[in-house]
Amino acid sequence: MTQVLERPPVAPGGAPPAARRAAHRRVLLEWIAVHALGIAAALFFTLPFVFVVLTSLTSDQQALTRDLWPHTWEWGNYRTVLDTPGFLTWWRNTLLYAGLGTALTVASSVPVAYALAKFRFRGRHLSLLLVISMMMLPPQVIVIPMYLFWAKQLDLSGTLWPLIVPMAFGDAFSIFLLRQFLLTIPDEYLDAARVDGCGELRTLLRVVLPMARPGIAAVALFQFFYAWNDYFGPQIYASENPGAWTLSYGLESFKGAHHTDWNLTMAATVLVMAPVILVFFFAQKAFVEGVTLTGVKG
Amino acid sequence: MTTSMTANTLRAKRRSSALRTLAFMSPWLVGFGVFFAYPLVSTVYFSLMRYDGFGVPEFRGLDNWVYVFQDYPLFWPALRNTLWLVLVMVTCRVVFGLGVGLLITKIRTGAGVFRTLFYLPYLAPPVAATLAFVFLLNPGTGPVNSVLEGLGVSAPGWFTDAAWSKPALTALALWGVGDLMVIFMAALLDVPREQYEAAELDGASAWQRFRFVTLPNISPIVLFAVVTGVIQTMQYYTQPLVAGKVASGIIGGSGQSFEPGYPDKSTLTLPQLVYNLGFQRFDYGSACVVALVLFALAMAFTALLMRRRGGLIQAGDR
Amino acid sequence: MPGISAKATLAVAASVSIALLATACTGQADSGASDDPNAETTLTFWHGWSAPAEVKAVQANVDRFEKAHPNIKVKVVGNINDDKLNQALRAGGSNGPDVVSSFTTSNIGKFCSSGAFADLKPFIEKSKLDLDALIPKPMLDYTQFEGVRCALPLLGDAYGLYYDKDAFAAAGIKAPPKTWSEFAEVAKKLTEPKGDGYERLGFMPNYHGYETVVDHYMSQWDHAYFDQDGKSSVAEDPAFAEMFTYQKKLVDDLGGFARLEKYRNTFGDEWGAKHPFHTGQVAMQLDGEWRLGMAKDAGVDFEIGTAPMPVADDEVDEYGKGFLSGTVMGIAPQSAKKNAAWELVKYMTTDTGAVVAFANAIRNVPSTFPALKSPDLETDPAFKTFLDIAQHPESNSPPASVNGSTYQLTLQDFGYQYESGKVKDLKAGLEKTAEQIDRDIEQTK
Repeated sequence: MTQVLERPPVAPGGAPPAARRAAHRRVLLEWIAVHALGIAAALFFTLPFVFVVLTSLTSDQQALTRDLWPHTWEWGNYRTVLDTPGFLTWWRNTLLYAGLGTALTVASSVPVAYALAKFRFRGRHLSLLLVISMMMLPPQVIVIPMYLFWAKQLDLSGTLWPLIVPMAFGDAFSIFLLRQFLLTIPDEYLDAARVDGCGELRTLLRVVLPMARPGIAAVALFQFFYAWNDYFGPQIYASENPGAWTLSYGLESFKGAHHTDWNLTMAATVLVMAPVILVFFFAQKAFVEGVTLTGVKG
Repeated sequence: MTTSMTANTLRAKRRSSALRTLAFMSPWLVGFGVFFAYPLVSTVYFSLMRYDGFGVPEFRGLDNWVYVFQDYPLFWPALRNTLWLVLVMVTCRVVFGLGVGLLITKIRTGAGVFRTLFYLPYLAPPVAATLAFVFLLNPGTGPVNSVLEGLGVSAPGWFTDAAWSKPALTALALWGVGDLMVIFMAALLDVPREQYEAAELDGASAWQRFRFVTLPNISPIVLFAVVTGVIQTMQYYTQPLVAGKVASGIIGGSGQSFEPGYPDKSTLTLPQLVYNLGFQRFDYGSACVVALVLFALAMAFTALLMRRRGGLIQAGDR
Repeated sequence: MPGISAKATLAVAASVSIALLATACTGQADSGASDDPNAETTLTFWHGWSAPAEVKAVQANVDRFEKAHPNIKVKVVGNINDDKLNQALRAGGSNGPDVVSSFTTSNIGKFCSSGAFADLKPFIEKSKLDLDALIPKPMLDYTQFEGVRCALPLLGDAYGLYYDKDAFAAAGIKAPPKTWSEFAEVAKKLTEPKGDGYERLGFMPNYHGYETVVDHYMSQWDHAYFDQDGKSSVAEDPAFAEMFTYQKKLVDDLGGFARLEKYRNTFGDEWGAKHPFHTGQVAMQLDGEWRLGMAKDAGVDFEIGTAPMPVADDEVDEYGKGFLSGTVMGIAPQSAKKNAAWELVKYMTTDTGAVVAFANAIRNVPSTFPALKSPDLETDPAFKTFLDIAQHPESNSPPASVNGSTYQLTLQDFGYQYESGKVKDLKAGLEKTAEQIDRDIEQTK
């Protein structure tokens, strides 16, 4: 199958009607095949969500049976989850980690990315290599010394600060992504600003930032989701203090800590997934642009 | 007079530009030192030490290295699992991502809706998605096995069966293939139309057009997807850990400890070993040995990525 | 631009100060206790209980303490497992606990030898407690390691057999099985297959079946985990091979590993109301004394029978013994309020009224002689079974080791491989396991 076949069917002008009909039929058959496949794939991607939501609405009695369709619609399950001691604290902590972390990441990464994209200096190539190495570094590699540093030297175990503070010092992935984006801004704009007497900082703030808004939005979104989804970080630094748990960590402990059956666990799962999906609908464009940027613009 | 003045201004200018660069780079320079260079050196140091968090570290030479490679019972299973995941899971994800990307470029009616539906699972938080899949694939009460058994297929134990736990994780990874789908979609749309038209004039079949027009055009993206997939596999932590814990029924309720890897070490990955050694057995030294192995593997693949795709760095440098 | 160089200076200053912090070394916390136990203070107490009724009972116990010691407030944090406890004690941070407790008695070796729990000797001497007259010997043993007393028992757990009396009667079984062969017969008799699952299973033998773990089975065979030199004896002591062989046969006889695992996945949570014994999915359960209270709270619709677990066929004279465990309570070494912390430990572990009230509330076995004899202790015949097991001379708990319960996890791991049929050669497997246990302990030293 190729793209060409998908274009509006225009049969060659002088073709006999039979050939035209055959071409039409071919196009129609292909339309059906493609969309059937599309629907099959859509089922694969959406059915898990459907099952999770259905289960979240079943009763305790039904949750351990194979009956899927709720006999009684237990909307109270969501109430129960929200009333679980801690659940709202996890929300608050997650918002703090994701919100503050994202703001710090953007603030600290933009100038670095700008320097890497637009300044010419010795060691630029090396710096970029190191940024990429940091980006590819599994967080577990350095966790032992980092944990000892935060817990023993700074007495900050049991809090989320060991996860938030580093974001004030640039995040490799965000720097890399922003640099890729800033490269696409023509130097002429910057030169014009400089000719007008702007210093570099003002050039960055007045000229570059407005143009880089889509890139910054993408970075902010990625960072927000990273913090929202992070499990390893809170597991290492916050697990001992339920008052500092985030949603991702709390959710995993939810089934164990509250001895709930699948219905409540799935209701909690829905409550953790829902905000992410809502944010996506509001910021779909920035997102897809960001994903594309990671792979294609290189 | 004039010349010396120019030289002075030039020098001053160069100095101010160096200072300016330093200022802009400073957040990262600090971050690099404190959150990368220092801990890496420190990890090497601890890998030679016996240290349990109390007292002072004690020099042990290569003891920890010998223990991890020779006697730590979880090391080789974890490495084997990683190899499996690289070979099977990464391949499946790239092929499936390309397939879904191709499909989405063909869909004419409701393309936006399909694209959104295909993309959404990628956004599901890993812990939530893993919990959902452990539930869906629960051999006792899960809907997937109900359906399979209804069809008369003997259904596997998925996350509770050592032979099926990694395929179950692969299914979870395929569900979240949205990132690759978008990348491939963008790449496919960038393939010049004329090449297809030329190929069609030459009478190329659909497969030939894919093989000789599409693939060569998108091959850099395929390579990118494979290598980043491998690097992600090195970091694969949350999904296998949560799946193992939840499926085993031992998830930290009432003071229970757990050994990761349920069932039968089949979901162990290297990052989990760092946790097991460092934060369950409190053998920080051996944990650092595993961390360095992980580092070496991640950097090897990163080097590969940068060598094969110089464009990643040089783009725009001119 | 002047703004920029100022910013640069600031950044450099920040980086230097962080580098300094990174190299600065804070010493270990001082182990002496100098705080005034009568001063106004707030303690943090960590425990591992998580079932709602148990959490409430802990809080009630703490409330009584606060009433008796109005100057001390206690912040209670529940559902803390040993990994988190170990981690926090090593971090030694100010957000950590003052008073700690754990369910894993075999971690005592790790706690006492590493200094994760503070030595209680000075406090016990100061309070002039005669522990031998106060606390039963097995419980004193599992709260110390190589002469270091770093914990006191906070109630005990005794493990026995729970069975559905109605199901026994319907199947014509007169008395609970005393030996493992009788037990296998009863388990088979009570099992009602349905399709490729079960209407009711006599007994869930798999090692993941909640409390049916390797060391709980092992307590019913005469055994020793280590020889005199401290080397693992799981390969030499025939009791281990006997146990693994028995369990594997039971698994096969009751329908095979895969089928049982599938059924196990339909069970509710161990600490929730839908426990398979409560729902009647299994007719017998190996469990601790707390199950009685939980089953009653869950409102089971059959009569619950309790008995000691069966013993090996040739050791029938030891019938009545069981697996013992308990909660251990100690003081965090970095606590700045050790004297106040000791007041809480002393109250919860030795005050007769407190021990009895707590034992009644969470239906555990009291851990002091006066409490065991107290008229206020609520005992019905079903619960008395466990009080007897707790005092049986042959009852046992696994020995402490420097690397905590790692040796049990290693043995347990072999159990998984053997029950699933992945490993067939029992002798070679046990030899390998013994080597692994020795090697892990050596690595810890």
